Amino acid sequence: MSSAPIPVTVIGGYLGAGKTTLVNRLLAGATGERIAVLVNDFGSVSIDASLIASSDGDTIRLANGCVCCSLAGGFVEAMTRVAEFDPRPDRLVVEASGVADPAAVAQYAHLPGFGLDAVVVLADAETVRRRADDALVGAHVRRQLAGADLVVLNKADLVDPATLERVCDWARTQADGVPIVAAVEAVVPLALLLGTAPRSATREAPRAEAHVDHATVTITGRTAVMRRALDDALAALPDGVVRVKGFVELTDPDGTRVLVQRVGARMRIVPFDRDPDSPPVQLVVIGLSGPAVAAAGRTLADALGATLAEPGIERHHQEHP
Amino acid sequence: MTDIRIFAARRVVTMNPSNPSATHVAVRDGRVLGAGTLDEVRGWGPSELDDTFRDHVLVPGMIDVHSHVFEGLSGSFPYHGRFGRHAADGRFMPGVATLDELLADLRRVDAEMTAAADDPHAPPEPLVSLGFDPVHLPGVRLDRHHLDTVSTTRPIFVFHASMHVATVNSAMLARHGIDRHTVATGVVRDADGEPTGELHELPAIALVASALAPIMRAASADSTILDFGRLALRAGLTSVGELGGQLLQRPAAVDTWSRLVNDPSFPVRVTIHNLGVPPGGDGDHDAAAAALVALRDRHSTDKLRFPGVKFVIDGSIQGWTAMMNWPGYYTGTDHGQLLTVPEQFVDWVRPYHRASIPVHVHCNGTATIDLWLDTVEQLVREDPWLDHRHTIQHSQLTTEAQLRRAKNLGMCVNIFANHLWYWGDVHYEQTVGPERANRLEPCGTAERLGVPYSLHSDASVTPLGPLHLMWCAVNRLTPSGRVLGEHEKITPYQALWAVTQGSAYQLHLDHLMGSIECGKYADFTVLDDDPLGVDPMALRDIGVWGTVLGGVARPVDRTDG
Ligand SMILES: [Zn+2]
Repeated sequence: MSSAPIPVTVIGGYLGAGKTTLVNRLLAGATGERIAVLVNDFGSVSIDASLIASSDGDTIRLANGCVCCSLAGGFVEAMTRVAEFDPRPDRLVVEASGVADPAAVAQYAHLPGFGLDAVVVLADAETVRRRADDALVGAHVRRQLAGADLVVLNKADLVDPATLERVCDWARTQADGVPIVAAVEAVVPLALLLGTAPRSATREAPRAEAHVDHATVTITGRTAVMRRALDDALAALPDGVVRVKGFVELTDPDGTRVLVQRVGARMRIVPFDRDPDSPPVQLVVIGLSGPAVAAAGRTLADALGATLAEPGIERHHQEHP
Repeated sequence: MTDIRIFAARRVVTMNPSNPSATHVAVRDGRVLGAGTLDEVRGWGPSELDDTFRDHVLVPGMIDVHSHVFEGLSGSFPYHGRFGRHAADGRFMPGVATLDELLADLRRVDAEMTAAADDPHAPPEPLVSLGFDPVHLPGVRLDRHHLDTVSTTRPIFVFHASMHVATVNSAMLARHGIDRHTVATGVVRDADGEPTGELHELPAIALVASALAPIMRAASADSTILDFGRLALRAGLTSVGELGGQLLQRPAAVDTWSRLVNDPSFPVRVTIHNLGVPPGGDGDHDAAAAALVALRDRHSTDKLRFPGVKFVIDGSIQGWTAMMNWPGYYTGTDHGQLLTVPEQFVDWVRPYHRASIPVHVHCNGTATIDLWLDTVEQLVREDPWLDHRHTIQHSQLTTEAQLRRAKNLGMCVNIFANHLWYWGDVHYEQTVGPERANRLEPCGTAERLGVPYSLHSDASVTPLGPLHLMWCAVNRLTPSGRVLGEHEKITPYQALWAVTQGSAYQLHLDHLMGSIECGKYADFTVLDDDPLGVDPMALRDIGVWGTVLGGVARPVDRTDG
């Protein structure tokens, strides 16, 4: 295949968890990346009319390059359509229905031309525990969390801090080993959510965003590494790391270049052609707090015989002022 | 030449309670003038006596509300189910009882395809097989190595009866680049990490697009609808339902259905209940309801009708995906899957109820049946409609208490009687256990409580065949010889009522169909024997001569013998 697979991020969560808010925010706020979004309920997509470039029955194209498509005809049909878009989308976000198992939906991300990025599950901090105990829907809510690579506890402002803490602890028991981010109005930095940051400086007004911090560090290495060492190093990263992404050259077989994606506990290492002049190890670590990410970055760098990109200057990058 | 025709028969079973049995039926303009003795029906005026059926028994035209046009595909692909069945052209497809029989038949098909290929050097067309059901081959797990013994060059795709699993050979895996590096979890692997050839669920099955493409092509071909009609005739049906139409999504198909079904040569009436999925995925059920009303008003004919809307809100019992109330399944893991958010369901359904569109909901498990009952209760409180006949479809495990509520709410149930035979042992031993398996398909309770009920095949899940449905509901026998629920048995008369009057009532068409009675359509099923007279165990073996549809005889093509 000539072009890289389109990364697919699946957004799951029960009714009221904030999926639609998140999707609307992604569509309106994306700048730089062309994001295609597949939604269940086209009617709930609310986009400022001034941003819409064109709209026909089941596709809305935005001036910023994003596209929103309906899932009414099913996943296979919708994804076949997305794969044929010109220009090609940079990534695909799929909104799973409120009772769907997003990890099962994520299986569609392995259709030709696509690759799974992550399953992000939103939960309403105020109601998720009650829902998880419900006789009818409880198993669905628990299954959603169990399949997540990243959990967003949304509506964090509706509960007091002690309750939020308890819900967080509980969510950890449901979604084992997965990073949990608290959020208000489904505001989650794109770097955490999609592993990407807006290229342009234009950004929405900060509003409630200020309290979701995140940090990134970059690691660069001059020597290729063994696959086993890479696997072990990625598996050993401490809590607080949400994502690791980048490229690594392997020694076995010699010269293989791979794309590395780790979200929560999910690891994806696939062969990938890239510029042979680029350094053999180039990875970005993204996490929730500066010190934790710096520590994780150092551990990873040591394990791979690499260095933090700009030694001495830890790029503790605060996305939201 | 006169315009009244009198059909003489060995017996006419009218299912009209006030005139249950006759020997003659007078017909004019496609409708029944009267049933009685020759003397009684002669008084309508000059007539022609037709004694084609003097050795046959006429019953009201049988009706299956819940099947799918996909049934019409069954002759287009090799069939490898456990139980033999007929193709639309009358060919008997015996099915396979063992793995060796499956492989032998696949070899036969492969050889036929090779012989028929236009260009021997072109890449071989995929071999697609339907109907294989591993439930009936305990201890066997079909994999690519088995299929590789059939062919290493032609891609092979064995679609399991559940349509949730397929098994493919190495050539198919290779054609689509599926190997040990393929990430999809639906691609089952062996101990060495190599794909076994088993593909689970659509995301994995869709990886072999070259196998799905011919199925999709065939599914929208005219020939599939035509074969659906021929199979319905062969089964003795005068009205057959597509309960899951997608005409809201594919408006062009309205013309296809209209053109084919309204043609005088099409042998059966058709009812289509479309899926309540708003086109464009905008969630606008008000607009979808308005579109269904427009469809009903503009395109309904005597042959083709659009009587309601369909929703599916859970999975299947044998897939462990039906939503069960406490205590859940007997063995195995509960994979209960809701297909609607419970809090939203009433909002989805309300616009149809308000537009006087009967709503049919696929509920297999007891929990989703409760959800549907609660929903109807709320709907009728908000907008009174005394005669809605909203229906529980499948209704396999409906409890006595639930049936009582259904009765009080004015609902119908359409019972999937064929499950008793096809999966009865599986339900007894594995899914729900003895007590609940004994009230599976609770026809007896529905009868006792007076809940209007009918029987359905859900073809192509099981083949079209109202006599087989009756046989199941009357005898409740499983392949292992078990009688599943003595106390839920119904009589042959009650079973015949279910597949005639019961179905007609559910369709709001009981003023036109369901009995042989003055004013109704002259729709009869012509049988070789009397279903109320034969040994009940012989019900499913009664020969079907054909039908009379709107007064016109439609013999089944019996060239196959
Ligand atoms: Zn069905």
